Amino acid sequence: MADIPQIAASVASLQRALETHQYICSEQIATAVYLAYHLRKPVLIEGPPGVGKTELAKTTAAMFELPLIRLQCYEGLDEAKALYEWKYGKQLLYTQVLKQTLDEVLQGARGFAESVRRLHEFGDIFFSEEFLEARPLLKALRSENGCVLLIDEVDKSDHEFESLLLEILSDYQVSIPEIGTVKATNEPPLVFLTSNNTREISDALKRRCLHLYIPFPDIGLEQRIIHARVPEMPAQLQTQLVSFIHALRDLDLKKVPSISETIDWARTLLLLHADRLDPELVKNTLNVILKYQEDIDAVQPELRGLTEKALGARS
Amino acid sequence: MDLLLTSFIRALRNADVRVSTAETLDALHTVQLIGYEDRALLKTGLSLSLPKTVAEKAIFDATFDQFFAYRQSRPLDSDESQTDDARSEQSGNANQPGQGGAAQTGASGQSAQRNEASASIDLPAAQSALGQLLMRGNAMEIDMAINAAGAQANVQQIEFFTQKGVYTWRILDAMDQQDLIQEIQDLEATHAIPPLRLAQELTRRRDWLREQVRDYVERQFLLHADVTGKRLRGDLLRNVRMGRIDSNHQKAVRELVRKMARRLVSAYSRRRKVFKRGQLHVPRTLRRNMKYDDAIFDLHWKSQKVDRAKVFAICDVSGSVANYAAFMLMFLYSLDEILPRVRSFAFSSGLGEVSGFFADHEMDEAIALTMQQFGGGSTDYAQAFVDFRRLCLDEIDKRSTVIVLGDARNNNADARGDLLKEIHDRSRRVIWLNPESRTLWNTGDSEMRHLAPYCHQVEECGTLAQLERVISRLLRATS
Repeated sequence: MADIPQIAASVASLQRALETHQYICSEQIATAVYLAYHLRKPVLIEGPPGVGKTELAKTTAAMFELPLIRLQCYEGLDEAKALYEWKYGKQLLYTQVLKQTLDEVLQGARGFAESVRRLHEFGDIFFSEEFLEARPLLKALRSENGCVLLIDEVDKSDHEFESLLLEILSDYQVSIPEIGTVKATNEPPLVFLTSNNTREISDALKRRCLHLYIPFPDIGLEQRIIHARVPEMPAQLQTQLVSFIHALRDLDLKKVPSISETIDWARTLLLLHADRLDPELVKNTLNVILKYQEDIDAVQPELRGLTEKALGARS
Repeated sequence: MDLLLTSFIRALRNADVRVSTAETLDALHTVQLIGYEDRALLKTGLSLSLPKTVAEKAIFDATFDQFFAYRQSRPLDSDESQTDDARSEQSGNANQPGQGGAAQTGASGQSAQRNEASASIDLPAAQSALGQLLMRGNAMEIDMAINAAGAQANVQQIEFFTQKGVYTWRILDAMDQQDLIQEIQDLEATHAIPPLRLAQELTRRRDWLREQVRDYVERQFLLHADVTGKRLRGDLLRNVRMGRIDSNHQKAVRELVRKMARRLVSAYSRRRKVFKRGQLHVPRTLRRNMKYDDAIFDLHWKSQKVDRAKVFAICDVSGSVANYAAFMLMFLYSLDEILPRVRSFAFSSGLGEVSGFFADHEMDEAIALTMQQFGGGSTDYAQAFVDFRRLCLDEIDKRSTVIVLGDARNNNADARGDLLKEIHDRSRRVIWLNPESRTLWNTGDSEMRHLAPYCHQVEECGTLAQLERVISRLLRATS
């Protein structure tokens, strides 16, 4: 078991712990985890795609050695898939199997009223915990030793689903009509929500969360990230690669390369046994970092200049 | 409640960052957790709990720096009671640019000499509370005292720059400066060396304190008064007839219009699903319940997605409404940002589409281009309707809303209401926004009475407040 209070004792110790799990981050991000842990508040993470929003939740789970429960949002996601559902099939099967028992129970009952009364004596067996299918949100609330709950791409979900989240996010509890209110165990989950900003998240949801914006990292930070993720990379190539990517981000592209693409590219170059960037090599591997043909076409003519600039960069 | 934090939040709110009470509590917890000592950490921590959008974060950064800047102002001159590391920290801070930096270093040099000379003499302890505070020389403590006194003197209510002196004095009074002055006078009357030294030292420190308080008031003025003025102006501008707004307020108006648009965007940009509760979706229910052996457990209701309306906006830019035209176009431009499917048209005599200008250019440029191409002529609604009919009557269907912005003054010519009727019959709504006040309609060459019957809605729209109301009603009707 990881010693969670010790890891979360200060921002610096959190930052170090994240680093040992290959997640190199700015102080801002570490502070967000620190506050989330101590204030028990969910964190809403926004930022361009591929800067490590989902990764932060995963790494936090690994760092605290807590289970990660992930809920991927999409249009049409509703409470049956996110929260709980009754096991209809099981209920049906049981009524069939128990038919005979029911007959016995009801034997000798006179009239409708008495039969119903006898049935009532057995309580709501069919709407009890055994027939409850817990979905991610409920699972997270009921996990014994705490967990990390990742609600991914919450902006993709419907407006109604956002409202559903409100009760869970502010009080760590949820109301199920047939059973009552389920409260989180003594260790409420650490909640991370990510959003790509395809639509504006409602104020009510934002109010309940800490808001973390992760921008693209600066050159120094990105070099450390590459160093942590692809340690076999020669230092010189790493410097060139990162400064090339940063030059690309300044161009007017449809989709600028993100950190995950930088890492992919680093692995590609390593595989090709490259020890320095050259225009030909860049040209052949450009499709690893640029995902639209029009972006590739736009960059091609400037390739030589960009490469030379990157070669001139010093760590 | 933490006064420093609440006043910071007040400043944030003035700078247009929406901070709710719940978030204030969060901020308070954050501060309790991380404390005020590490400023960088405080900034990161608060930036996580208070601002909730990227734009707000930028404002937050600026406001934070401005608000907490006075803590970096000139420190109290060195004296014997302070420890060595405090002094080294001070010398680091002394590099801060302040008013009369050169004079200050000179003064501190002198006082250092003086202090060396007086080091052998033990100063008697100050009697008044303020004197003791100053002699302790703890910058943090003094800061907090100034803040508390400021709150007591209601410095947040400062509105005009002429009030700065008054507030400085009131704050010093609230800090019991009278007692201090009295003490200094008493000390000077004794004619003994140690009390005189103390009087000197106290006077010097009082002057320093006065400077601090003046800086503090200055900053409070920047944070509160300026913004109050801005808000006041905003409120006024919203209710002034658009044609009468001075051209030097144009920038403020543009900002207001844009803000209005932004608010509307965030409120209405969702595609909402409307659940018609009560109407069973039979096919889907059957399909979904097949796995339960056709026992109907899981009911599905009919729902429908409401698409945002197609909007056609026609704007009169002729001489008679020239004053309004700029605002109307400004508004059209903003509307273009809210509703993705807006097609804009402008006319005075002939009509043409200007959506392209709006898409390709900045607001000012687009408006200038429109005015250049279509503006200035004499109004001819008949011609405009003919052109509009030719350009896009085919595209108007039951989901389209047509907005006409104009004063309906047609130079005594027939306005061809029949053409408007044709548009009316095909579209979902025709809305006429008239910048003139209602009492002026149907006077002179105004054709309102002939055109209004063919509109679903006719509104007066002379001020920004009216404009906002009309638009939010329009969006509600379509969503």
